[in-house]
Amino acid sequence: MARHAESGRNQPIAYLYVAPAFIIVMLFSFVSMGVSFYVSLHDWDPMRGRGAFVGWGNYARAVAEPSSVFWLSLRNTSAYVVMAVIGVLCTSLPLAMLCRRSRYGQALFRTLYFLPSITPMVVIALVWIWLLQQWGGLLDRPATALLAIAVVGVWQASGYNMLLFLAGLNDIPQDFYDAARVDGANRLQEFWHVTIPLLRNTLVFVTVMLIIGAFQVFTQAYIMTRGGPERSTEVVAFQVFKNAFSYAGQMGYASAMAWLLFAVLFVFIMIQMRVFRSRRIYDE
Amino acid sequence: MTISTGPPKPPRLVGLWAFVAMSAGAVVMVYPYAYMVGASLKTRKEFATDKRSLIPPRFQLDERLKHDRGEPSALAWEGADWPILKNYIDAVVYGQVDVFLFNSLVYAMVLTAVQLTVNSLAAYAFARMTFYGRDVLFNLLLATMMLPAAVLLVPQFLVVNYLGLVDSFWGVVLPGFAGAFGVFLLRQFFLNIPAELEHAARLDGCGSLGIFWHIILPLSRPALITLGLFTFLGAWNSFIWPLVVLSDQSYYPLTVGLSLFREESGADWPRIFAASVMGSLPLIAMFLLAQRYLIGGISLSGMKAQ
Repeated sequence: MARHAESGRNQPIAYLYVAPAFIIVMLFSFVSMGVSFYVSLHDWDPMRGRGAFVGWGNYARAVAEPSSVFWLSLRNTSAYVVMAVIGVLCTSLPLAMLCRRSRYGQALFRTLYFLPSITPMVVIALVWIWLLQQWGGLLDRPATALLAIAVVGVWQASGYNMLLFLAGLNDIPQDFYDAARVDGANRLQEFWHVTIPLLRNTLVFVTVMLIIGAFQVFTQAYIMTRGGPERSTEVVAFQVFKNAFSYAGQMGYASAMAWLLFAVLFVFIMIQMRVFRSRRIYDE
Repeated sequence: MTISTGPPKPPRLVGLWAFVAMSAGAVVMVYPYAYMVGASLKTRKEFATDKRSLIPPRFQLDERLKHDRGEPSALAWEGADWPILKNYIDAVVYGQVDVFLFNSLVYAMVLTAVQLTVNSLAAYAFARMTFYGRDVLFNLLLATMMLPAAVLLVPQFLVVNYLGLVDSFWGVVLPGFAGAFGVFLLRQFFLNIPAELEHAARLDGCGSLGIFWHIILPLSRPALITLGLFTFLGAWNSFIWPLVVLSDQSYYPLTVGLSLFREESGADWPRIFAASVMGSLPLIAMFLLAQRYLIGGISLSGMKAQ
């Protein structure tokens, strides 16, 4: 990279500048993951520390034991992911297209729609308990509680993603639309043959980020339903949390679950990494 | 990337319909806030009887009229003579919300200050200096961004526990002292500062730290403000980590304090909403003041604030 000044000459003092950030980040990412893998192979109590070595026992317990709620919570989480991701995509993209067509108040709309992104999720969850209560008690029925939680997730995330789509839409040169117009395309054809293909990068990026984010859903389930009613909102992150911090001596089991969640997300993380790399080159 | 360079002025009718649709959406976005503020002004009796209305019954016009006609009205309910901000005062007096707010503020400010320092130093080295293994280290750092927070929760707790920092101030803040996202964002910005300025400073006898301090940092104010805001927001809104690390209530940030109120049997909801308003309004005010940095930062990086 020619842009770097003094290229070629080693500057050892740079290690000193990099060290604090590097050590902290590594300690709380890869090192932590390593530690938790070690813990996941043992019976472990946060107070007393290491117990017996159990090998893959904790993983087997989560995956194979009949009483395990791992599959149930993974099923719930997946259903939440589908609902939330589709919900956000189907609101934020149309909103972005509407917003830039709006005759008045575009800046005001951007501000208002962004508000949920800067409000603590705890506050949002507390308010929505009562909003949902009024609208037919969605939270109280096992059949609809997960949907209700997804509604809150969609409400929270759509404005932020609208902004991402707005930025993407503004990058599409007007010429493409003019050309489509000349070819006699109607609005729907314009959308499918110009907007969607040229928005592909943003779409993939937003979708992958949404999927990864939605798989980690926790705060709504914790504040609004505590996993109920009848375990209908029992999600993986909440299971990990409960085993690690509410039940005694299950730290090894919880660590195994965290690793299983990681395994589930791995495919999406790989896609995210590729997208992220291509964006990086693009940005530079 | 600017947001203002949209298409040419849209046709009148389409523009009007879009405006109407966006306004309807805006109502959906704002309604929960209106509900929260309204509920925070209700008395317990009012909230128990009327969960729906945005305006507390004792301030509604028809209840006033009923009262004036001598009919039974909400103004005769228990607590109707409350001062308007009673729940806010109670939240502080009985719920120690002032302590929670103070804790949130301290966590957020400390994290912001440390992150800006630590991240910008690292970003400077990655962007403008040469050293063996630079690209390897940087890619390792970037790779950590792919580890989801929910996956890292237990692992990070194990390390903090090992360090003996559970249930302490340091346990809450230490993992957030640096972040790959911040290093990445600042590096991007530092890369675009012309090298000529650096050469000139070097001729004037500046060392690498001098260049960092006198050239790079002053020219990077927008990026630093953006990162500072993201960090502050993230710290203020963070919930799961402090929930997991802390058990001593006097260390609780507001988010964890709120979840504590919710767990109490016979939770006093109007008071919870008063605390919620106090916990979210400062951020909204800050956002309104600084929104160009936030929104600019989002389209710049496409990264998540929380």
